[in-house]
Amino acid sequence: MSGALSPRLLASAFARSFLIQGSWNYRTMLGSGFAFAMLPALRVIFRGDPAALEASLQRHLEHFNAHPYLSGVALGAALRMESEGEDPEQVRRFKTAIRGPLGGLGDTLVWASWLPSISMLALAAYWLGLPGWAAVTLFLVIYNLGHIGLRAWGFQVGFHGGRGVARSLSAARLGAVTERVRAAGALLLGLLVGAVLGGNGGLGEAGTLWGALGAAGFLGGALVGHRLWRPAAVAVVAAVALLATWGWVS
Amino acid sequence: MDLLQIALIGGVLALDATSVGQFMVSRPLVAGAITGWALGDPALGMVVGALLELYLLVSFPSGGARFPEGATATVVAVASAAAVDAPGAVPVGVAAGLVWGQVGGFSVTLFRKLNGRIVPDAAGASGGSIVRAHLTAMVLDGVRGAVVTLAGAVAGRWGVSLLAESWPLGTPDSRGLLLVGGAVSAGILLSDLGGFRRRRVLFAAGMAMGVVGARFL
Repeated sequence: MSGALSPRLLASAFARSFLIQGSWNYRTMLGSGFAFAMLPALRVIFRGDPAALEASLQRHLEHFNAHPYLSGVALGAALRMESEGEDPEQVRRFKTAIRGPLGGLGDTLVWASWLPSISMLALAAYWLGLPGWAAVTLFLVIYNLGHIGLRAWGFQVGFHGGRGVARSLSAARLGAVTERVRAAGALLLGLLVGAVLGGNGGLGEAGTLWGALGAAGFLGGALVGHRLWRPAAVAVVAAVALLATWGWVS
Repeated sequence: MDLLQIALIGGVLALDATSVGQFMVSRPLVAGAITGWALGDPALGMVVGALLELYLLVSFPSGGARFPEGATATVVAVASAAAVDAPGAVPVGVAAGLVWGQVGGFSVTLFRKLNGRIVPDAAGASGGSIVRAHLTAMVLDGVRGAVVTLAGAVAGRWGVSLLAESWPLGTPDSRGLLLVGGAVSAGILLSDLGGFRRRRVLFAAGMAMGVVGARFL
């Protein structure tokens, strides 16, 4: 077994982590993507021992799930553990233990906070008069600074921390970071609502009826939550269909 | 040629949502801009993309959850709205996008079930079989996105061509109708971000900035 992993191999694993969801499925979820990302490094670690390589690949092909941006934490740590010849059962237990926290943290930090916040920033900027191309560029640049930064940080922390990566994760205080992003998100949501109410082509220009309906929809969404999304979308589609049919018939 | 271009854009953007990178070029705001630019009407692409982004602010590709597919929905919506220059093109196009987002989401679920058959079982798997399965799944996801987009664009363009000319509302009322649905998403998001009681000061401060900014910018 070869212990050391070159920077080039680590870069390859990190690059492959961007494709970790390429074969997402309900049976192994990220399992095959995880094995795909590990493959070049495992081939070096187990050079000259095809049976050990096969056994290791089969371990990493098993069910695994995490937020894709934070899956690098587990990937880096697993690479470290494999390169140090850790007991296979320990590697398996480690991956089982860490997948839940990585999924929960990532969903809250990225999907429920970072993504909508930067979307709202770009939308508000667009509604306030920023050219469309500039709003889109603003969104892509800021969002991906956070995205790629988080992936790079996670992979590095995982590889350096190995089995003890949980300590580094708790020291990073991602929960506190999430809370700050959510607070900023509330400010940006207010900015967006203000811009849509007062901006060109917004609810303010549409008239009192639509303003009142918009306020009712906003309150309903705030009180009922996600259960109202589908009925609201269906109602808008139905209203468009009815109006269009009425116009067509008459 | 136009439809092939639309299908290609839909396929590439659909890949970004889950399979490749997740750089969020699949978000409606970006997908709308790209499709509008490709079809020669970037302003229309931005309007449709911004409206659908409002709706899908609370939708994201989280784990095994079923979600409306924003990329294919937006490409379909912009391609449909661009079919005719009429007041009803945007509302009917956006409605087509909302419907097609559900179809796209359903196709993602089916595709993930198919992937379960494509990936090798742990026993007997080799490096080569893992790479082949992984790459096959990614290519098929792109094809899925392209087919879903193509079908949606054909149906959406037909619907817009049929209905948009006789649309009974003017542009402000049409925009108002579409923004009401977006307002529901904004309310849901406030609840997700901590709720009105907890975030009222920040939310009110942001809203004041938005109203003032809209007046002076």
